Amino acid sequence: MKITMINGSPKPGENNSGTLIKYLTSLINENETDVYNISKLKLSDMQFEEMKKSSALVFAFPLYVDGIPSHLLRFLMRLERMDVFDKNTMVYCIVNNGFFEGKQNHIAVSQMKNWCIAAGLTWGQAVGIGAGEMLPFLKNIPFGYGPNKNTGKAINEIANNIKTLKSGDDLFVSPNWPRFLWKMQGTRIWNMRAKKNGLRETDLYN
Amino acid sequence: MNLMIHDLDNGLFKKLFKTSKDMHVISNDGSIQRCIGCFGCWIKTPGKCVLKDGYNNMGEILSKTDNIIIISRCCYGGYSPFVKNVIDRSISYLLPFFKTKNNETHHKPRYKKRCALSVYFYGEHITRQEMDTARDLVKAHGVNFNVSEWNVAFYKSSEELLGEVKIK
Repeated sequence: MKITMINGSPKPGENNSGTLIKYLTSLINENETDVYNISKLKLSDMQFEEMKKSSALVFAFPLYVDGIPSHLLRFLMRLERMDVFDKNTMVYCIVNNGFFEGKQNHIAVSQMKNWCIAAGLTWGQAVGIGAGEMLPFLKNIPFGYGPNKNTGKAINEIANNIKTLKSGDDLFVSPNWPRFLWKMQGTRIWNMRAKKNGLRETDLYN
Repeated sequence: MNLMIHDLDNGLFKKLFKTSKDMHVISNDGSIQRCIGCFGCWIKTPGKCVLKDGYNNMGEILSKTDNIIIISRCCYGGYSPFVKNVIDRSISYLLPFFKTKNNETHHKPRYKKRCALSVYFYGEHITRQEMDTARDLVKAHGVNFNVSEWNVAFYKSSEELLGEVKIK
């Protein structure tokens, strides 16, 4: 079975959507998976031909101002216009956001469902992950453990549904970590990153 | 000042709306770049986007605005790609730091002044579900952009907007 994963992150280097795709791929590796990073490459007709053969499309992307980032939206509209997929093709998505609460991804998930209807495909499941910006700091902690416990569990569940092409309830998860601590760490990290750019803390309020 | 962000072609826009000196209009000249998620507008050049394409000063523009008027085709219960691109490039309006409101985390505002937000969606086949999503989206913007009030309206075509956009 062929599964197409679409990385909707605009970041050229390492990105959270890529990290989540990597983990998901490790769980479904008995299947053929193709990963496309839409911000890096312009897909060729041949790649679209390949995509057509997939039983499932998995979109992993960051939440941008309460919704789907504009570059991914352009891509989705292109896919809809092409009208090439079989109507049984399943659509799954994994959205991560910068706020603590995974629930804040729910509007982007609704937009993906609306797209799925417009494109005439079959809805599978969504996972919405909070505090996505924590992921790079948790590289040494496996998914399913510690702060990554809830994220890991949710990805495991969507992976099982993808493997069997089943639908499931949407899952919204926040990290297994105190929110006040995350907030404090966030402030420290922004200030540290500003300092690296030669700025003082007060400069950030310009 | 009033701010209008729209995705109409310029001929139609001129036919539908009279603009004044008090109105800042942001339209699609084809040069807008996508947000690259670098956070430069927060930690490198605070308050300003690092991409130089003429759409890099949204934070400052919003800080001077009393009313934001958005006119957009409704796409899957959200904005069209151009309008969303402008919004995505507007996060310099906020600070990177977090606050908690209604038991949810959001970004702290950079500016004291607050503005009102009116969104006019158009499209021939907007479904009920898309309308619900669009209302949720604008409501969430209301919280995240710290606006004083917000409202949403739907129209079957952009031509129907003639005389409909109320500017205080």
